[in-house]
Amino acid sequence: MTLSEIADGKLAPRLGIKLDNISKRYGEHTVLDDVSLHVEPGTVTALIGPSGAGKSTFLRCINLLERPDSGTIQVDQHTIEPGKDVNSRDLAALRRTVGMVFQSFNLFPHMSALKNISFPQQKVLGRSKEEADERSRQLLERVGLKEKADQHPGKCSGGQQQRIAIARALALDPAIMLFDEPTSALDPEVGLEVLAVMRELAADGMTMIVVTHEMQFARDVSDTLVVMADCKIIEQGDPRAIMSDPQEARTRRFLRAVLER
Amino acid sequence: MTIMLTLSAFSIGIVGAVPLAVGLSSSNILVRLASRLFVDLVRGVPIIVWLFLLKFGIQIGTFKFNPVGAAIVGLGVVSIAYLAEIYRGGLQSVPRGQGEAAHALGLTGGTTFYGVMVPQAFRIVSPSIATYLTGLLKDSSIASTIIVTEMVFQSQAFARQHPTVEGILPYIMVGILYIALSLPVAYLSRRLDSRMRKAVSV
Repeated sequence: MTLSEIADGKLAPRLGIKLDNISKRYGEHTVLDDVSLHVEPGTVTALIGPSGAGKSTFLRCINLLERPDSGTIQVDQHTIEPGKDVNSRDLAALRRTVGMVFQSFNLFPHMSALKNISFPQQKVLGRSKEEADERSRQLLERVGLKEKADQHPGKCSGGQQQRIAIARALALDPAIMLFDEPTSALDPEVGLEVLAVMRELAADGMTMIVVTHEMQFARDVSDTLVVMADCKIIEQGDPRAIMSDPQEARTRRFLRAVLER
Repeated sequence: MTIMLTLSAFSIGIVGAVPLAVGLSSSNILVRLASRLFVDLVRGVPIIVWLFLLKFGIQIGTFKFNPVGAAIVGLGVVSIAYLAEIYRGGLQSVPRGQGEAAHALGLTGGTTFYGVMVPQAFRIVSPSIATYLTGLLKDSSIASTIIVTEMVFQSQAFARQHPTVEGILPYIMVGILYIALSLPVAYLSRRLDSRMRKAVSV
């Protein structure tokens, strides 16, 4: 093994994640009703379903941006029970293992693209500025945006911003990546460049959980397709099998709406 | 004296308002209520009344405020309250996704606040802060009422000592002086603002 391979994060351990019996309520209103999902290391899981099904909330529960009322989250050796007190060490470890990409990019507008990627590395991993910048440039090159390093996000297109956001998350060497409708805020054509980066990432063996409305991507790239509706997982399995022969009536209705438009 | 007064009070305000602004947007209801009470109390009473209270109303042991001390503390505390409210507005106008992204990246609360929220909030509020500074410059004239020898006080004194001079003249002079002082503030603030806007066109 060479140093550059280590720096590339190629040795980052492949981790899966187990979520069991996750429930979330806002007052009287139930958003997630006893949802369990096991994700194997190195696989891509696509979460689809009608809006309001709880897909995004579920995803946000994984890194505790939303605090589930009950359930357990198991990553690596860590078991977290969000219903009880979570100590800050466990929370930090969880967020270090899990990277996230948002629908609205959420790049820091007051920093250049390079700084957006370097700043968290310096703060979270304690890398020096030089180390961080070097890693940032590698990643920018990998997502095809080497020339944008010194630009502020405001000067970049949506697709470019999202690719910078992916690079920012990858810079912390996460073992698992969460994508919350990463192309929903983008023009269909621009979305393609983001999907291309995600396909590459999947091919590299990154464990990914993707909330998406991109059915093509879900069918071609994901190993497991998970259909959520009414705060529950109603069906999961091989994406092609589910898409060609859904078992549940609700899945059938949803697929007809998205595929036959 | 006017400049000294304004800058001292402004420095007190700009620093002191930070914890108060945090308190105003705290998730702890007691902290929030206490901060809110302080801000509303301070803002609800005219500056002139505060200055009189501090100058003539406070005596702790043998300690009494001298005029300048009372004016600096009075204007400073009022500045804290106003600026805290300006900061709070700025912090709340930073999109929620910014904080979420910072948390998802594993940044600590402090880094999120000072590295992500504050710089963005500052861009949003810098024109309001400049407006407040010009206001404060003029409000410092109220200190003349508790015998601080700032510009208005001196023009009054001049007018009294030289009854032969047209009575209005000193005040015209002092008016021009105030304009001369506030113009650079306005100019610098506009430049700062447009520069920051150029850097970050979201």
